[in-house]
Amino acid sequence: MVRQIKQKPMNWIERLYIFEAFRGLWTTLKHALRGLLRYETLPTVPYPEIKPEISRTYRAKHRLMLRPDGTPRCVACGMCATACPAHCIFLEAAPAEDGRIEKRVLRFDIDHLVCVFCGLCVEACPVDALRMDTCDTSYVFRKREDFVTPMYQLMSWDPKDYPQDDLQSQMAPGGTKNKQALDAWGLKVN
Amino acid sequence: MMEIIQSKHWVEWLITICKFGFAFVPVIFILLLIPLERRGAGFIQDRQGPNRSYFKIPYFGRIRLFGWVQNACDGLKLFFKENYSPSGVNKFIFSIAPAIPFAIVLISPCVIPWFAPMVFTMGDEVIRISGQTVDTEVGILLLFGLSSLSAFGAVLAGWASKSKYSLLGGLRTSAMTISYEVCLGLSIMGILLLVGSFRIDEIIAWQEANVWGIVAQPVAFFCFLIAMIAETGRAPFDVAEGEPELVAGFHTEYGAMQFGLFYMGEYSHIGINSILVACLFLGGYSVPFVTTETIQSNIGISLAVLCGIFVVAILAFLHLLYRYARWYKKSAASNKQVILREYSLYKILGWAAVVVFAVAGVASALFFHPQFTVIDGQPVYGIGVALGTALIHILVLLVKAIFFCWIWIWVRWTLPRFRYDHVMNLGWKVILNIALVNLVLTALIAKLLGGI
Repeated sequence: MVRQIKQKPMNWIERLYIFEAFRGLWTTLKHALRGLLRYETLPTVPYPEIKPEISRTYRAKHRLMLRPDGTPRCVACGMCATACPAHCIFLEAAPAEDGRIEKRVLRFDIDHLVCVFCGLCVEACPVDALRMDTCDTSYVFRKREDFVTPMYQLMSWDPKDYPQDDLQSQMAPGGTKNKQALDAWGLKVN
Repeated sequence: MMEIIQSKHWVEWLITICKFGFAFVPVIFILLLIPLERRGAGFIQDRQGPNRSYFKIPYFGRIRLFGWVQNACDGLKLFFKENYSPSGVNKFIFSIAPAIPFAIVLISPCVIPWFAPMVFTMGDEVIRISGQTVDTEVGILLLFGLSSLSAFGAVLAGWASKSKYSLLGGLRTSAMTISYEVCLGLSIMGILLLVGSFRIDEIIAWQEANVWGIVAQPVAFFCFLIAMIAETGRAPFDVAEGEPELVAGFHTEYGAMQFGLFYMGEYSHIGINSILVACLFLGGYSVPFVTTETIQSNIGISLAVLCGIFVVAILAFLHLLYRYARWYKKSAASNKQVILREYSLYKILGWAAVVVFAVAGVASALFFHPQFTVIDGQPVYGIGVALGTALIHILVLLVKAIFFCWIWIWVRWTLPRFRYDHVMNLGWKVILNIALVNLVLTALIAKLLGGI
């Protein structure tokens, strides 16, 4: 559908330009005085010193979710690697020792230089083992190889950094729901 | 030779030589204008502006000076970059062109009167020193001649660069300088007609005796201001640089300090132009509603009022600083300690300055009662009163000039740029005609009312 926008014709005061220019000057003066006299109310933040608040739904760096005993929830099905449009997930599988699970993951690397942060891997995961809610947006390294994040780094997150109502995170070792979850899981880790 | 030296008192020589220092006022304006422009642009666009760089002071910490250090760093960077020129350029003209606008700016303040003519007694002698460095009859004409010379820098740069963008930029500069020089000259003809002199000090004396030029000639003031902004070649009249069309116009091929010279030339041109507007239309050095005679007869009180204004300004600054520090203390910034430490330094300096100025103001109000001798029915004071009056006059002029500097920046960051044909239309078809009509009307009214 074509939407036709009718512009209101300018009246003669507006066409004189000088009065409209003064109105514009008044607008910018208000902004300038706000910056000068109410500097702390500026919408920008001095970045590295004050970090902006990042929502949990923001697609940031990945993390691998953990079972109550600390092993990755990943069942090495390879759905994430298949879904990945940038082909940046590399995983290897092995038979699991736990009888209830078919496979476990041996290697799970994400190349964050290649990753496009589309979140399709998170959508694809059938067991909710992969999430992008770390709010970690700035990670800087000197070498390209360092951007390939190995599995142990993806797994090294702290349940204390995540909200209480995030049950999946609190079930991990160190979380508040870990003990209950361990009982339900039926395994005691020595 | 000795006769020339002995024809003046040594104090007169000293002050005359010191007046040459005023040549550097527009250059000092650069130091003020660049931070004002960058932070001002930031605030207008709801940003913070450059505030990152710092000096490291041993045993104290980091000093950011509210972002001023960033400009020093950028200047330093320009200074140490390689002087680069494309192949095939005329090396001599290419390298001399950026110096022209900057050199002109060093000469042009010579006809600006910085204070009312000093008259004071030194022993038995009565010494008179005029406010401008060069005491000449042509006055403002010399200033206009010099400021239009600075277009040569852009034109030569455009021609010597061997680049089509530069050439077009140079062409546009020359066209715009010619068209807006006409408007510039015609718009002040009204006030020159009322005053009957080209000398800027007489124009200011007339404004002090009657009304400010902005009241007597409001239309001329706007025409003059627009023509002045156009002449400095800044937005909204930046057709010579024309970022969307001509890359960077006449300084496309320049880098390093050669570009820096253009940049500094532009800013000091703004400085000198705002001083000129302040002189012509805002009463120059004259203090509003107070005559120079009143200041001189109550010099102690006048200096006390000056100190009081300083105290109020510093207290306002301290208020902002305290409020911002309070907010910073509550925030989650990782460099909190560093910033608050820097602010504590400013607080100490500010309170010290408040105390010094308050004491100085009270002392001058109580104890500064100058002696005078009556010569030709006029009281003539000593050198202390003359220097105090000159100080007040210079500060008043600088405050007015800084206000106009802010107008330059304000207009630049508010109005969208004009297309080239719009600029020419505005110059030749609008402002020129308004200035002409204004001139005729002024002449008629002056003839009918004043009978000049």
